[in-house]
Amino acid sequence: MNFNLFLKEMKRNALSLLIWMAVIILLISVTMSFYGTFLENQSKILAMMSIIPKEALQFKGISNFDDLISVLGFYSANNVIYMMLLGSIFAIVLSSGILLKEEYNKTAEFLLSWPLTRSEVFVTKLAVLVVNIFLLNLVAALAGLLSMELVKREPFSVPAFLILSVYTLLLNYLFCAIGLFISTLVKRPKPITTFSIGLVLIFYFINTLSKITEGASKLGYLSPYKYADVNAFRPDYRLDLLNLLYYIGFTLLLTGLAYRFYLRKDIYT
Amino acid sequence: MNSPVIDITDLSKFYGKVRGIEKVSLEINEGEIFGFIGPNGAGKSTTIRLLFNLIFPTAGSARIMGMDVTRETEKIKSVTGYVPSDASAYPDMYVHEFLNYCARFFRLQNGEKRIAELSHLFDLDLKRKIAGLSMGNRKKVSIVQSILHHPKLLVVDEPTTGLDPLMQEKFFELLRNENRKGMTVFFSSHILSEVQMLCKRVAIIKDGIIAGIEDIETLRNKQLKKVHVGFADQQNEKDINIKGLSDMVWGSGNTLSFIYSGDINELVSFLTNRKILNLTMEEPSLEEIFMHYYK
Repeated sequence: MNFNLFLKEMKRNALSLLIWMAVIILLISVTMSFYGTFLENQSKILAMMSIIPKEALQFKGISNFDDLISVLGFYSANNVIYMMLLGSIFAIVLSSGILLKEEYNKTAEFLLSWPLTRSEVFVTKLAVLVVNIFLLNLVAALAGLLSMELVKREPFSVPAFLILSVYTLLLNYLFCAIGLFISTLVKRPKPITTFSIGLVLIFYFINTLSKITEGASKLGYLSPYKYADVNAFRPDYRLDLLNLLYYIGFTLLLTGLAYRFYLRKDIYT
Repeated sequence: MNSPVIDITDLSKFYGKVRGIEKVSLEINEGEIFGFIGPNGAGKSTTIRLLFNLIFPTAGSARIMGMDVTRETEKIKSVTGYVPSDASAYPDMYVHEFLNYCARFFRLQNGEKRIAELSHLFDLDLKRKIAGLSMGNRKKVSIVQSILHHPKLLVVDEPTTGLDPLMQEKFFELLRNENRKGMTVFFSSHILSEVQMLCKRVAIIKDGIIAGIEDIETLRNKQLKKVHVGFADQQNEKDINIKGLSDMVWGSGNTLSFIYSGDINELVSFLTNRKILNLTMEEPSLEEIFMHYYK
């Protein structure tokens, strides 16, 4: 790993990271600020929600209306989507561009003419991705924790909240690996941001579809969202070993393949 | 005898079925300023990108100072400098920031001092943002970053694009000075005159294949001129039979264009005996030289 490159990349992405953090904090705090109002009007709201098809609520992780009454239930039903969707978009946009932008911005000929190996470039940029995604998740988790502490009426399970945050982090890292992997396959240097965002949305849509359509339930297994259990208010909520292996396994596999491809890639500017 | 600084053997690069370069072999010795000349798209940049391991060869090998370009890339890059033909420094950085960033990769002891010296030489404003620089100033940044660390080998690809004549001369002077101190230069260009001005030997590449390697003196001796003569009256083609004249083309109004490789004095004395309206003499294009020597 090269510290000089690491610092520069961190600095280069700092503004984008700060903006994403601000957006996530804002979304979480605004949503959680409605919790009090929700509790005060719960009978009306629950009556209103009872006319919504059950399947439509299921994709938000709500299997029981009463789940929403607990602060963690309210949080996970309304806020997890931000980090699962927006966090994944942040991860894939960052990862799909971190190597490729050196090519389409025509800076690769400088970077790769300095005394660095391709391996160092890859590992350093990977470290930048890991740190950036971790920081965004950390801030989101702290914002969630703090906002729940501020609005809660009853205690909530912090371990369950942490498990939820781990699932989100793992999902974001998997999308990061997907973005990195795809970027090493691109032969003509041009941005793939739109394609990457599209991919996250497609996977999200597949998962949603599989939840609300019985005939498409098996389709959900294709989506990384399927393996992130967001029902944090369940009493037996825990980190599932198979889900954990799925995320870690695929993230390592795709990152390993991306590394291998990058080491042998013809770099054009 | 020392081993060559650059030793390229049968190096080929194909993009699918399309030839980038094929069986390129070159030896560049320590202390040389070696010219690498060819028209755009001939394979000059492909060869250089292979040397810097930006792309991988389809066949053949290349070594720099005895080190394999695909396996010992980090060591090679610590002693080489590179001015790419069409690269851009990070547009969001300031010039001083970019050059310091570059200097840190080489762990330079007196990086700031060296940057100040070179930027002064090239009249480069360190406080400007790279995004706002003109093409010429970007090229200066590229040149400065390439020699910050006193490389043993400098590879330059079309280095004068965008530089005004004054800066070109300063750059050539810098190359000569550094060369006198021992730096080997691999100078790639499509402009014959600047290669002739600097280099001792030159390799000519055409359609991805080395068409010839010449001493610059040899090239100079068979220096070509493109001549356009406007005669006052009609000429009999058979009378125009001086040695060294080729590629004759008659234009409208008794105008004759041709490539001349003989003694200029003979041409002048030949023309003195005829009434001429105008006479222009210019350096032929590279294509014309290729056509002349390598058709």
